Amino acid sequence: MGLRNFFDRIEPNFVKGGKYEKLFPIYEMVESFIYTPKTVTTAAPHARSYVDMKRIMTYVVIATIPCIIMGLYNVGLQVNSAYETIDPTGWRAWIISSLGIGFNAGNPLANFAHGLLYFLPIYITTLVVGGIWEVLFATVRGHEVNEGFLVTSMLFALIMPPAAPLWQVALGISFGVVIGKEVFGGTGKNFLNPALTGRAFLYFAYPANMSGDTIWTPVDGFSGATALSIGASQGYQELAANGMNWMNSFVGTVQGSIGEVSALACLIGLAFLLITKIANWRLVVGCMGGMIGFSLLLNLIGSDTNPMFAMPWYWHFVVGGFAFGLVFMVTEPVSASHTNVGRYIYGALIGFMVVMIRVLNPAFPEGMMLAILFGNVFAPLIDYFVVQANIKRRARRHV
Amino acid sequence: MSDVPNQNKGPIARFLAAPPDSVGKTIFIAVTLCLVASMIVSATSVALRPLQEQNKLKDKQANVLQVAGLYEDGMDVIEGFSVFEPQVLELETGMFTDAFDAASFDDRAAASDPELSVRLTNDPAGIGRQAQFVTVYLLRNDDGSLDKVILPIHGYGLWSTLYGFIALEENGNDIFGLQFYDHGETPGLGAEIDNPRWKAQWNGKKLADDDGTLQITVAKSAPPAGADHHVDALAGATLTSVGVDNLVRFWMGEAGFAPFLENLKAGEI
Amino acid sequence: MAQTKRDLLIDPLVDNNPITLQVLGICSALAVTSSLEVSMVMALAVTAVTGFSSMFISVLRNQIPGSIRIIVQMVIIASLVIIVDQVLKAYAYEVSKTLSVFVGLIITNCIVMGRAEAFAMKNPPIDSFVDGVGNGLGYGALLLTVGFIRELFGAGTLFGFTILPTVNNGGWYVPNGMLLLPPSAFFIIGLLIWAVRSWKPGQVEEREYKIQVVEGH
Repeated sequence: MGLRNFFDRIEPNFVKGGKYEKLFPIYEMVESFIYTPKTVTTAAPHARSYVDMKRIMTYVVIATIPCIIMGLYNVGLQVNSAYETIDPTGWRAWIISSLGIGFNAGNPLANFAHGLLYFLPIYITTLVVGGIWEVLFATVRGHEVNEGFLVTSMLFALIMPPAAPLWQVALGISFGVVIGKEVFGGTGKNFLNPALTGRAFLYFAYPANMSGDTIWTPVDGFSGATALSIGASQGYQELAANGMNWMNSFVGTVQGSIGEVSALACLIGLAFLLITKIANWRLVVGCMGGMIGFSLLLNLIGSDTNPMFAMPWYWHFVVGGFAFGLVFMVTEPVSASHTNVGRYIYGALIGFMVVMIRVLNPAFPEGMMLAILFGNVFAPLIDYFVVQANIKRRARRHV
Repeated sequence: MSDVPNQNKGPIARFLAAPPDSVGKTIFIAVTLCLVASMIVSATSVALRPLQEQNKLKDKQANVLQVAGLYEDGMDVIEGFSVFEPQVLELETGMFTDAFDAASFDDRAAASDPELSVRLTNDPAGIGRQAQFVTVYLLRNDDGSLDKVILPIHGYGLWSTLYGFIALEENGNDIFGLQFYDHGETPGLGAEIDNPRWKAQWNGKKLADDDGTLQITVAKSAPPAGADHHVDALAGATLTSVGVDNLVRFWMGEAGFAPFLENLKAGEI
Repeated sequence: MAQTKRDLLIDPLVDNNPITLQVLGICSALAVTSSLEVSMVMALAVTAVTGFSSMFISVLRNQIPGSIRIIVQMVIIASLVIIVDQVLKAYAYEVSKTLSVFVGLIITNCIVMGRAEAFAMKNPPIDSFVDGVGNGLGYGALLLTVGFIRELFGAGTLFGFTILPTVNNGGWYVPNGMLLLPPSAFFIIGLLIWAVRSWKPGQVEEREYKIQVVEGH
């Protein structure tokens, strides 16, 4: 217990009146990362639960593991497949060759290693830059550094395209953390999902690096459309001609942002989050319901000019970021609705908006990011009406 | 208490001193103010009208000059423009008409005038109604032979209707330049149609192949017809590029300037 | 209220800035700030309108009937705006094309009406003029700041001159496309308000509520 003693010994320096009083948040962060916090709630009301914030955040990070594994494998797979026709260049190719791993797209391990070389720089940049902001605000404001950031940074890194330039990654996470979270007072007070806020910022600021055909596989001179942009221009029936069927979209061996390609991996994560009760199943039911309902309606209406009308719901589910967004963003407790009825409405609104943006808006082939941010904005309003309706109903009962 | 001194004052002073909220004064102030204000406003408007008209004209002429590659910063637009010969063209016959004054013919007004325009059934450019008459500009060499023709084109991009000109060489097939002067596309993406580097691509491209089939296209990769007919699509602005492709092909096709270009090639212009 | 004319002019620049403190006139600040030149013209137009409308209204202040005073103010402001619009169309056609409807919308700019109603109706003409000009300049200062940031980082230029050569023109700078879209001005104005209030904490509003600590029962 030498470490515990060490913390106890240096603690007086950091508490009020100590030498490094201003740096308390940093001390607290390191200490509580290693040990359970000693603080005891004194004010009423008390809610007893074995799940604290730290555990919630840890569980979410664990739930992303299948997505990370599939994502890394897929990035490597896409790059290695592209290298069959294009000569490997760049420092990553150099490392791979020097380690003797090779560019064989049929070797899962080689793919995984190559994918790691793309994911790690993005993730480390996210962690470092976002972490600096986090600590800076915590120090100035005197609140604690929150584990929520681990989740935000992981999610943010997973929704980046593999070819994203690192300075843009840094800018995106800065915007997400500062504007999406800290200006509202930090974790728990943010009404927008910080990871998505950062992603949306990049999407509008540097659209050439965040959408299009050349960014999903980070190989110079390689161009390949995502399922959604093919669906928008030629219809989903044409996907097969481009080497995409439902199964590989579901498993996740298609182009897309790093972690979002595999609906299967997302479902594994979802199962974990639902069993541990971190994710509220009502949100998932609402969102799926909204998406299925509206896409069935559009199938029924049909359109001669817009091929996206015909895309069935099970395709909507596997393409783009729907599954990832559903599992990790829609279910995020802080920015979602907090009432049970509100959760159905909130989920359904997002499901509806996704299909709406994907199908009816010509400018944005992918709708999940914008739909969730839209839902985030409405969540407090939904809660308000649900609560008011409840008050009214109970008032009537007691007249 | 102000009653007594009032008797010593003239009518104006008495009026000024009267309480502002009396009915008579309220009406008086309202009427006077409206009169004065409207007079000032109309006077300004009338006095500045000629200057404004000139600006509008200059603006359009500057665009024609730009697409023909004759524009320089700070030049006298009116004088520079005098080298052009405006003509009103009847699209269907491909011949010029004297029914309208070319200097004052308003293309946009004609497009919404039911007498002068038709509703399109096949409308890839997304323009709704198409005028049957348009103003074109001819540029002649010193010896009077035709050098270039400047044709107005417009069509729908992603968010807005793009208005522009295309300049063709005297053979009616080689493109000299293309320029849009009015659009509302996304800054940084679709609005890159204003980028000089992109516009420069059009120079030297050919509308049709040797068989006379219209081949020009804006696309990501060169069409089978060859690079002579291909302009690179804008990165990240698929729909604006598709819009430009549609509108250029529409205006250069049968419903647009094709009859005129035939005449041009036949040497009838 | 013994304010000197200097105070009337300087005060609205930072201490009592119509945008950062009173949060007025945001609409046009979002729309016209994508380039510095346009911001500049807009700032001048608004300054002219607030200055002269305040002056004229102040001259007439003892004669304006209370029942129609808002209409009278509107007529004066609207006439001035139309004149400004006409002058721009005649002498600065390019800029007026970009400003389009927003010159006309100066009529509805809360700053103009606000100064007319709050200051010009109660103070002598010269003071009112100075106050109007000061507020116009306060608005203009913010417009220019936002326009500076948006044009420099959104297009790599200032007043149309290239400062940061962009990638599309063969340079190195990747322009931030969002800064060319109106919503970005929201973020910039928000951050500016944050900066000003950190600098001058006196501008921070009182909390509307207070979280109370209830001791255990």
